[in-house]
Amino acid sequence: MKRSNPWLAVALWTLISFLTLFPIYWLFVISVKPAVDLFSTPDVLLTSIDWQNYIKVMNDSTLRGYMMNSLIISTGNAVLVTTLGFLACYALTRFDLAGKESVFFWTITNRMAPPAVFLLPLYLLLTQVYVIGDFKLADTHLGMILVYCTFNLPFAIWTLRPTLDGIPKELDEAAFVDGASAWQVISVVIFPLARPGLAVTLILTWVFAWNEYLLAATLTNFNARTLTTGLSEYVTTTGTEWGIMAAISVFTLIPALIVFGMVQKHIVAGLTFGAVKG
Amino acid sequence: MGNVQIKGVTKSYGGVRVMHGVDVEIEDGEFVVLVGPSGCGKSTLLRMIAGLEEISGGQISIGGRVVNDIPPKERDIAMVFQSYALYPHKTVAENMGFPLLMAKRPKAEIAEKVNRAAEILDLTKYLDRYPKQLSGGQRQRVAMGRAIVRDPQVFLFDEPLSNLDAKLRVTMRVEIKELHQRLKTTTVYVTHDQIEAMTMANKIVVMRDGRVEQIGRPLDLYDRPVNLFVAGFIGSPAMNFLQGKVATRDGRQVVLTDQGIALPLDGVQVEDGRAVTYGIRPEHITIGEGGIPVDVSVFEPTGSETLIFGRVGGVPIDALVRERIEEEPGKTMSFRLDPRKAHVFDQVTGQRL
Repeated sequence: MKRSNPWLAVALWTLISFLTLFPIYWLFVISVKPAVDLFSTPDVLLTSIDWQNYIKVMNDSTLRGYMMNSLIISTGNAVLVTTLGFLACYALTRFDLAGKESVFFWTITNRMAPPAVFLLPLYLLLTQVYVIGDFKLADTHLGMILVYCTFNLPFAIWTLRPTLDGIPKELDEAAFVDGASAWQVISVVIFPLARPGLAVTLILTWVFAWNEYLLAATLTNFNARTLTTGLSEYVTTTGTEWGIMAAISVFTLIPALIVFGMVQKHIVAGLTFGAVKG
Repeated sequence: MGNVQIKGVTKSYGGVRVMHGVDVEIEDGEFVVLVGPSGCGKSTLLRMIAGLEEISGGQISIGGRVVNDIPPKERDIAMVFQSYALYPHKTVAENMGFPLLMAKRPKAEIAEKVNRAAEILDLTKYLDRYPKQLSGGQRQRVAMGRAIVRDPQVFLFDEPLSNLDAKLRVTMRVEIKELHQRLKTTTVYVTHDQIEAMTMANKIVVMRDGRVEQIGRPLDLYDRPVNLFVAGFIGSPAMNFLQGKVATRDGRQVVLTDQGIALPLDGVQVEDGRAVTYGIRPEHITIGEGGIPVDVSVFEPTGSETLIFGRVGGVPIDALVRERIEEEPGKTMSFRLDPRKAHVFDQVTGQRL
């Protein structure tokens, strides 16, 4: 077989990487330009860097609060749905539950519906129904974490099921015979083997929650307002502050990149090789 | 005491009964092999002893204690799975020490027992490796190591050699037998390979369709199978079966086939005229004058012996002989059947007469 030219592959991947990364670079360029330079002749190369937009964002305590809210809600939601999804998939793959395929499909249908459909019922639930004394779930971190479960939990179950299916049941049985309790089987045997799938689920659900705008804009006012909703505050009747929005966008990107960097080593297949015959 | 008692054990899935009142007595220190074709219930029975499968009826006792409702970890058993079931994220040492870790044993004790088991199984230099870095035979030894560190009352083996190649299977067979002779732990071993059963067991339990067909020492099963199923299952190559009626010829009892061929009998008390199935093992046939005429179709020389495939009156019959045959297939040869080694079964019930 004729070998393909390696330089062609390098050129192709360079082009694809450029197309992918250029918008991010352009975002950064906008964020470090003074407002007056933004609408002059486009200059792709950076000639000078003006950190004013970043300083403004950093000094804005409201925005810092939004970022903290986003971090708490996204992380809380990602950890919750990944944990619940993991346990749900353990039950779905290990136990002979009546109608488990129907349960699985039913959870997936929640993900298929457009979020806007749930907007009014969720708003009413959070403001009128889930009320204990003066406490309402609306505009709270907990409320948003639970709201995002509606969409992220089905997704977590959907992505984790193949991972749990791929771990041989004989490993559970061997561990039971070796003296492990059900909880030890899950924590000592299944959890380490499911880590690649859990990492993927964790990061994707985190990113979904981090990027979400519609529900956050509707169900929060101030206490649990997130960074994505904060962006819209810079689109005003007197104009749009592109530089500050770009700086906020860069701040929005950074945590996502850090989270991805932390879990990417777990996103490798083949950990179960050698578990059983092979 | 590692004795196991299985009394009237039944198993049903929904409304379908797959195990029909199985009774087996396993003495302390015995090596018992459960053998039978696929779907006979041997693995299910083993898993019921392990506690991985609930029983629908009857009683299982280990060491004199009824374990029907006791979880696997409290049954004081260790199990080796067909697929090894090693924890891929743990090293060989961690895999072998896992049962002791679960039992909250001190680290020093775990290390000592793992090292001792590794020495027995020749795994010392692999203790820091992961399962994926081992060959099939080494993985199987790790699985055995994980079982022996616990020093359980009973070892359970579920077709542990099925994934190994033929040569390694023989080696591991010897290793498991040596291990049993050394540890003298009660062992229940499941296989569908009757050679494994014959070579390893003190006692064989032959199963079919969720029932025990016969229990006995390997050579008893070989010499005196209680029915056609056991006769056909135990022994390789399998026993030949020919249909006929008992008759007396020249003062001696024979089985007369429909083609009028007389099959010799000796020491069997059956009334003349009874329809029977005549069984003779291929190794109890010799080539020589005065035998029955067989149309030979294939010779299979293995070096040490020759397997001859043929037909008598259209019915297949095989012979396994020590000598090398230089004949061409297609000719008729005279097969001499050893009457003292012949088996006679009732044609209707299949039971030994």
